[in-house]
Amino acid sequence: MSDRIVFEDVSKFYGEILGVNRVNLAIPPGITSLVGPNGSGKTTLMNLMTGLVRPSRGKIQVLGYRTDDPENLFKIVGYSTQFDAFPKGLTGFQFLYSYLQLSGRDSQTAEQLAWRAIERVNLVDDATRNIAGYSKGMRQRIRLAQALAHDPKVLVLDEPLNGLDPLARSEMIAVFRAAAERGCYVIISSHILHEVDVISDQVILLSNGYVVAEGQIQNVRSEIQEHPTQILIRCTRPRDLAAKMIESELASEVTIHNDNRGLLLKTRNADNFYLALNQLALNGIEIESVTPADDDVLSVYEYLIGNEEVAR
Amino acid sequence: MAIYRRSYKPYTGTLTPAWSRWLVLFRYSRRDVFRSKVQTALFTICFFYPLLCLAFIYLAHNISFLAQIGVSGDLISIDNTFFFRLLAVQGVLAFLLTAFVGPGLISPDLANGALPLYFCRPFSRAEYLVGKSSVLAITLSQITWIPALILFAIQAGFAGPRWAWNNLWIAGSLIVGSLIWIAILSLLAMALSAWVKWRIVAGALLLAVMFFGAGFGQAINAVLRTQTGYFLNLAYLMSTVWSDLFGIDSEHWISVGDAWIALLLYCGICLFLLMRKVRAYEVVR
Repeated sequence: MSDRIVFEDVSKFYGEILGVNRVNLAIPPGITSLVGPNGSGKTTLMNLMTGLVRPSRGKIQVLGYRTDDPENLFKIVGYSTQFDAFPKGLTGFQFLYSYLQLSGRDSQTAEQLAWRAIERVNLVDDATRNIAGYSKGMRQRIRLAQALAHDPKVLVLDEPLNGLDPLARSEMIAVFRAAAERGCYVIISSHILHEVDVISDQVILLSNGYVVAEGQIQNVRSEIQEHPTQILIRCTRPRDLAAKMIESELASEVTIHNDNRGLLLKTRNADNFYLALNQLALNGIEIESVTPADDDVLSVYEYLIGNEEVAR
Repeated sequence: MAIYRRSYKPYTGTLTPAWSRWLVLFRYSRRDVFRSKVQTALFTICFFYPLLCLAFIYLAHNISFLAQIGVSGDLISIDNTFFFRLLAVQGVLAFLLTAFVGPGLISPDLANGALPLYFCRPFSRAEYLVGKSSVLAITLSQITWIPALILFAIQAGFAGPRWAWNNLWIAGSLIVGSLIWIAILSLLAMALSAWVKWRIVAGALLLAVMFFGAGFGQAINAVLRTQTGYFLNLAYLMSTVWSDLFGIDSEHWISVGDAWIALLLYCGICLFLLMRKVRAYEVVR
């Protein structure tokens, strides 16, 4: 059995509307974030990997299972859609319990699993209340619980952090991490880029239905050549350091901090820059810290997608 | 790359049989139907006429009692016409019950975008439709062919095995006649419920299809001097089929075969509309 979620040359068109085009991916275990503007194809990609829509072209396999085999696929997949949607008149517990029965669990097992999932999302006190009376955050959590309840190996979560307060967000992120640490595949789409940056093991950047980058964010950043790498250095003699870097043509732009204890450099050759920095450190400049300033999702998103968004 | 302990263990317990999962949907939808006092009251009213028929059957076999009250035994005849009238009355009540129950089956799921929640389980669109339509099918069966067969059995008990054997075809007609009406009503109600997301509008539309369809059909007949307008009149098509099934002599403007074909065509159109709308996703253009 394959240990990846594999997309092979997958395209999806809704009539004349492009969903995603020529997607090739092999998603490993861990937390993978889908990042992109509205209409970029994130939800389509999620619907494709859960078999809710069929690809117009190409092949998808989730850990070796075909997506048109729901009986087997949904033993290992849990999906939380972005819709704030619930069948009418159910309590939180009944919602989970009924969907577990639809997943083939007998009533006793369904009850046990429902309560366990409710505990995981911290909704025990409100489980017997009608969902219609839940706050947005509670509704988000109960939806996450229905995706988790049958203990799937692949969790596909569309905008799972929307509407959650900071405390609930950190609780949910802890749940994602716990799942990832057990070897599960957690696929998340999100607009909250700084959170994506913190929680993701890898990202998939989408724009206009195309995958524009994928992998660990540092690796993606290192492959973007047209934007010089930004490096933040805290040191004792920033002006001397800046002069030497400009002189050696390793820095294309330097900004000295107001406190005179650091500088922000832009370089097109990060590897040579770090070698030179080691030499300078040996020659008397005390360097406190060196931090890449733009190898986060936000910067990469801005470099790869932001300009297109502006152009549009 | 993070290092994972990979302690995940999949569920290894037994699963319920796939064929039985639509019953989950049936249980919850059925509970919703009887949560409404109006619908429960209407369902109860649907048993009044069968109870009246039961009284007639009893009286028809108690000549001494009829003589005491001065009624001739010939006035009450338990035959094909008796059961035809029973089905006609119950058919109207079934339609009214459908107008209340039917629109609430699919439209709330569609209005709330809840369909992906169902379909991200080992649960197909066909199973979803079976689960939802079974609520109507079973509820309508309880007020049509089931009480009718019970009455037939009681009459057979009073009249003896010879009557039962000679009139067994009436029992068959009761079942076939009821099932086709139930199929039409269920599919029509669900199709309208799927295409019109507002429950009240879907209910009104069901009434409109039945009554305006009949009126529009009559208008076509009058203006174009044709009989094809009857194909728009579902009640007329159904009564044509029922008359044939119960051997009732009456004048019909369209043939029984054409009526059957038209009814089956309506079922097909409703199924097509349902399959178009009941999907896990919706593309907003």
